[in-house]
Amino acid sequence: MDQQFNVPDVESQETDVEREGDSGSNLKRIAKYFGFRLIALFITVVVAIYLLILIANMGGAVDNIRMGQIRENVGMQMMAMSSEMADWPSERRREYEEQLVEQERRRLGLDQPFILRSVYYLRDAITLDLGRAEQMTSDAGSRRVQLIILERLPPTLMLMMSYFLIMFFVALFGALFLSRRYGSKLDKLVVVLAPSSAAPGWFYGIFLILIFAAVLGWLPFGGMVKAPPPRETHLYALSVLRHLILPVAALIMGGFFLTIYNWRTFFLIYSSEDYVEMAKAKGLSNRAIERRYILRPTLPPIITSFALGMIVMWMGAIILEQVFNWPGLGRMLYEAIGLFDVPIIVGGQVIYAYLLAATVFVLDILYALLDPRVKMGAGAGGNKQ
Amino acid sequence: MAKETKLAANNVEKNMNLDEKTANVLDVQDMYLYFQTGKGIVQAVDNVSFALERGKSMVIVGESGCGKTSLGRAILRLLPENVYKYEGSCLLNGSDIMQYDDERFRKEIRWKRAALVPQSSMNSLNPVLKVSDQVAEPILIHDLADNKEQAREKAAEAFKKVGVPVDFLNRYPFELSGGMRQRVAIATSLVTDPDFIILDEPTSALDMLTQANIMNVLTKLKEEIDISFVLITHDVSTSSEIADMAAIMYAGQIVEFTDAYTFFGTPLHPYSERLMASVPTLEADDEELGFIPGQPPSLINPPEGCRFAERCEEEFELCSEEPPGFEMEDDRIVKCWLYREGGERDANYGK
Repeated sequence: MDQQFNVPDVESQETDVEREGDSGSNLKRIAKYFGFRLIALFITVVVAIYLLILIANMGGAVDNIRMGQIRENVGMQMMAMSSEMADWPSERRREYEEQLVEQERRRLGLDQPFILRSVYYLRDAITLDLGRAEQMTSDAGSRRVQLIILERLPPTLMLMMSYFLIMFFVALFGALFLSRRYGSKLDKLVVVLAPSSAAPGWFYGIFLILIFAAVLGWLPFGGMVKAPPPRETHLYALSVLRHLILPVAALIMGGFFLTIYNWRTFFLIYSSEDYVEMAKAKGLSNRAIERRYILRPTLPPIITSFALGMIVMWMGAIILEQVFNWPGLGRMLYEAIGLFDVPIIVGGQVIYAYLLAATVFVLDILYALLDPRVKMGAGAGGNKQ
Repeated sequence: MAKETKLAANNVEKNMNLDEKTANVLDVQDMYLYFQTGKGIVQAVDNVSFALERGKSMVIVGESGCGKTSLGRAILRLLPENVYKYEGSCLLNGSDIMQYDDERFRKEIRWKRAALVPQSSMNSLNPVLKVSDQVAEPILIHDLADNKEQAREKAAEAFKKVGVPVDFLNRYPFELSGGMRQRVAIATSLVTDPDFIILDEPTSALDMLTQANIMNVLTKLKEEIDISFVLITHDVSTSSEIADMAAIMYAGQIVEFTDAYTFFGTPLHPYSERLMASVPTLEADDEELGFIPGQPPSLINPPEGCRFAERCEEEFELCSEEPPGFEMEDDRIVKCWLYREGGERDANYGK
């Protein structure tokens, strides 16, 4: 009790200087780390897209289908011209037919071997030169895949971002709340309801439409804006908002209880860490313990699970968009698959691949911000436990 | 000078308590801590009493699972959810802290008066916060410093005391070795200048050399500053340097409580005797090293009577009843029928 402290104030200055020097080299290291991550992600994207091209073209088998289509078209053409060619000998007719087919084959580039063409396709896909659709058009009438996708991208992003933001915060605070009341009736209810997420969002969407659109008539059946679209901007926005409610609700229902259950278990596991107990022994308030000692260390894995879940959701939204008649990327893909429109399928997947890579890259940055072990351990082995 | 005032105020407050009350820093009476589990009720701490004089340090020795850690937890009120029974009194400088409500306990006792060096200090640091933030944290939350800079200086002082380079304050826990983390944990327990520190097996996860280093740090600290350590350990040999008093725990109870010097020389309780006989010393021949047959009883439904009776070579008819703590000379307490007044060993004791 009677012990006195001799205050050393020189030390802190020294260390401050050292820290500045550190941060310079740190920055370099971080830049290098992200450089490598970018390259690695790019290679992943290239490999993924090439595989996709092989699969979407069935390893070249789609060529046969297209040759058949060409022959059929040429045949129709010949039929239409049959009066002009009435006096042609059949040999000349056949020759002319072959000539037309060959012309069309060259025009589409089918005379080159598939392997060679697949490399061209890859180059075009990587540079986002997505080519022209075979059957589909954009609402504005263009056949360029890029324009079709750009037209469909905003609705999908709007739907997913609304879902992401609502779900993330509701689930995060819900999970924290439950982890505090571990074993309570509410907690048990959530655990019991967790398997509800076995059914996808669109499944609940059907019932939501049934209840809120068909029976109660409160909300629209589907689509993104009412027809005809309102002229005034605020009315337009309001209409879009009204149309958003049901699909977003369906998405949330599809994952709500499982996500809360997951994260609550996560928090519980991390709550039993020794440093949480230490924080309690130190006399921190419960709120401070929750914020600094439970939420902070668990944030990286939670954000990861959520972001990766969201990518899966983009795929899953194919059916949801179909159910809600939502004019997004998912529905575009659905239609393209039905029409065997390879450029659209490939184009859509290329966008997915890039979105995935971008998400992973953003996650990397978040990780470095949230977890010093990632930032410091860059390049080297890192954790020396 | 201004920066010393807050801490000084804390000390004055403590000294006031001191004057009016006893010379005991810690006085635990009839402490119970039972847990509810699926298999039954675990009697982790069963009617434990001891008193520790101001300025002295004690060691609590016992096998794994005998309730040592639970006793430490009970004193610090670090309880899990499944507590079944938590009773007794715990006087800290004369005031019963068991009566405090949680908020008062948090504000007045936690770390201000009673600090902890946890069992696995390896994991006792939050991986995503800088060491400096974590060491200085208790000073800031208990408002013992005027600003962050001052708290940091205090942390730096504590680092010096335990022999950690001061620039380690800027590091993250994963950049420290196990021994360093252990020292940081000890430094953290010192920053608020508490009345006593519970060290829960502070060296169990470390290699022999680091263990020795840490024990040297503790011995040095004990000489330099006026603080009471409560060292919880299963390792008798490392504890002898630090402890003034020794408490031997067996199956949730303290079976012997005495001053450490006489204890290490002449243990009285049959369990203590066998325990000391099993400690290797420099002179002892390996083959003579003792052991205790059997294993400690389950703390769920422990046996009636003396809990050591089953493994005791000197068991006799009285052992089927629970022995009280018999008080011997020099305030020595032994919980064994052999030491009852006029008992066979009582007659021999002191001769």
